[in-house]
Amino acid sequence: MAAKKITNHHTLRWLIQIFFLVLFIFFFTQTRYGIPARLQNLFFRFDPLILIITSIAYRAVITAALLSIFLIIGTFVFGRFFCGFICPLGTIIDIFDSIISHSPPVIKIPSFKNGKYLILLFLIISAFLGSSFVHFFDPLVIFERSLTLLLYPVLSYFAGLFALIPNAVFIETFIALIFFLTILGLGFIAPRFWCRNLCPMGGLLAFLSKFAVFKFTFFESCTKCKICEDICPTKAIDSETQKIDSAECINCLRCQYECPQTAIKYRINLLIVPFDIKKRQFITTLGASLVAVPLAKSLIHTKLEGLLIRPPGSIPEKDFLNVCIHCGMCMKVCPTNGLQPCILEAGINGLWTPKLVSRIGGCEKNCNKCGQICPTSAIRKLSLEEKSYAKIGTAVIDRSRCIAWEQDKVCLICDEICPYNAISSLNETIRETTLLRPFVDERICTGCGLCESRCPIEGQAAIQVFSIGEERITKGSYITDEKTRLRESEEKLEDIPSGFIIEE
Amino acid sequence: MKNITRREFFKISAGAAVGVTLLPRFLSSNETKEITGPVIGVARGEKDKLVKAALDAIGGIDKFIKQGDKVCIKPNISFAANVDRGATTTPEITKQVVELCLDAGASKVIILDHTIQNPELCVEKSKIEEALIDKKKVSLLTLTKERQFTEIEIPQGKELKSIKIAKAIQSADKLINLPTAKSHSATGVSLGIKNLMGLIWDRGHLHQVNLHRAIAELATVIKPDLTIIDATRALTSGGPGGPGKTVILNTVIVGADPVAVDSYGVGITQWYKKSFIGKNVKYIAAASELGLGEINTDKMTIKQVKA
Repeated sequence: MAAKKITNHHTLRWLIQIFFLVLFIFFFTQTRYGIPARLQNLFFRFDPLILIITSIAYRAVITAALLSIFLIIGTFVFGRFFCGFICPLGTIIDIFDSIISHSPPVIKIPSFKNGKYLILLFLIISAFLGSSFVHFFDPLVIFERSLTLLLYPVLSYFAGLFALIPNAVFIETFIALIFFLTILGLGFIAPRFWCRNLCPMGGLLAFLSKFAVFKFTFFESCTKCKICEDICPTKAIDSETQKIDSAECINCLRCQYECPQTAIKYRINLLIVPFDIKKRQFITTLGASLVAVPLAKSLIHTKLEGLLIRPPGSIPEKDFLNVCIHCGMCMKVCPTNGLQPCILEAGINGLWTPKLVSRIGGCEKNCNKCGQICPTSAIRKLSLEEKSYAKIGTAVIDRSRCIAWEQDKVCLICDEICPYNAISSLNETIRETTLLRPFVDERICTGCGLCESRCPIEGQAAIQVFSIGEERITKGSYITDEKTRLRESEEKLEDIPSGFIIEE
Repeated sequence: MKNITRREFFKISAGAAVGVTLLPRFLSSNETKEITGPVIGVARGEKDKLVKAALDAIGGIDKFIKQGDKVCIKPNISFAANVDRGATTTPEITKQVVELCLDAGASKVIILDHTIQNPELCVEKSKIEEALIDKKKVSLLTLTKERQFTEIEIPQGKELKSIKIAKAIQSADKLINLPTAKSHSATGVSLGIKNLMGLIWDRGHLHQVNLHRAIAELATVIKPDLTIIDATRALTSGGPGGPGKTVILNTVIVGADPVAVDSYGVGITQWYKKSFIGKNVKYIAAASELGLGEINTDKMTIKQVKA
């Protein structure tokens, strides 16, 4: 009777895990233009790692992530249930581990359970020093980004059902793929290797779980048969001393289920298993931060920043790099596929941050989805009106490439497409040929890049957006009287198109 | 089996391509042309009766759409701009055209366009879905993939030897071209024939050759059975995407002769604050030179009605 009940608990855990995995993927599929941005970023708002690390690095509280206090309190009471029940990356790792479980460990590396604390410490110290590296290690971020960069292009290739853009592409998927496969591949060493030894979210929750109210506890009926110790996926149990390290335990219920004596139960237990972090480990971590932060900051190529077009409403670059968690939601939601992951354009720490690659797709005037979906407001939530005034750059015509300038062709597609009337076609005589040729009014141009995306020249466009004049502000409006006056002015410079034959 | 040499293969393929090209009705030679000059219908007045009134003036929709026909309608929904900007065909007019087609017994109506901007945004902003009045018979097709197009030869082509056109129009019985009246920074105006550019895959290429002539050459291979210009309002400057100046005209122009309809359309309002006639527009003049229709409004029968 009792055994059956416990089986149900075990199955229940699987069901809950699958539920959260499906929910996460459902939110992912709903992250698209045409569906209002509401709950899609909910997981990130419960992410305590983002709350802590990002807030420290930004020197201001990321209010959107304040819900994660509930997870912190919950962990104080129930232990590390997040890892065993909710974390979608953990679930994927569980599934992968169960697939490969038949094989003995391919690589033998001793477990290093302090690793997760040290990575957490590294993140905290680096954040205090002014750089957030949370995006490399946060499991939710890793999973969301992997879905976007790896799964989305596949879905988009096969069916218009899942994805808005046919054949969505991302210029960087390889590093993300290696990253994701490495995390899964660690399962060849030991089950849940990532969660136990490296994941700083695991580290944070483990730290809290040390003090948890409810813990798995040995009862007297134990015969020290060691079954529990062998099956525990996180090696949290020492059956000799009858101690279960609540920091390592992810509440998977397996020991309770397998114990022939039902000698392990989940009970109120205030016993704390002490930490074992060596001074040397601490110093090494501190050293790592001291190297990593200056390295991350020095690798921003200031000269290349002119080519780095951030989404409209992005906060100032220094803060953007810290507040952006590199989750990729903005790239998933972008209806033109123009938002792409950076590789090294924004420095080493800017890997996977969004940039607008206008040649792939411009920024649609009627869309503000990236800011709506951004979980940390690194891209501000702007109204459509505000967004349409948030200048991200300026288009520059390369006359030597432009076929209207160089080859006397009737092109002017850039003028056609510009939704702000920032491009004028004016008569200009070159080599005795008078023809309409495009000019950009930099006061009106917002840098949306629709012109660049449609320029019919092969390869590099003849009109290109640079970050000249980009507006990066944390607060306040982008709309000014001068701008609205210019945009609404009736007297747009416009010559009679050359498609007309004008009779004298 | 006999081996085919490369030369033979090319011969057969070319023959087949030409054959396929000429097979559907709207791709065949100018059969709708009348000796007495083309008849066009112009209706002015109440918006919701315009299309029917204009068509009735030239013999009614039944003259063009037969029982069981599969009809393609090509509105201009290429820009993600609000309808009042004047860059897109109004949903009301499209809806009227769809209704008339269904009344005439069309078995299927496909509304299609190869949009310039993101298709979902264009559909949303143009409100074209209002014209989807019958779930079974009427559908919307935004062309986004190269495989939705097929390459055909242009026998009369100088600028264009071949072009990739939408497969959907090849398999349809009838094509109705449903442009909105607007100005165009390159071609001056964008009316019926210019609207055909939304049925090809690589529109950018046309700008790299002689655009005006290329548009006319395109019209030698895509021949709508009927052209209906939505001039409920016209974007008279700032076209084709706007924003620009719009004037309310509450007019619809219909006809089987694409050149005649466009040529008349040029004269209904001023463009860029100047008056023009059909032969002032290079692409319309080029189409007329290619024998695609009548450009001289004096040689047309213009039936003006009040709706």
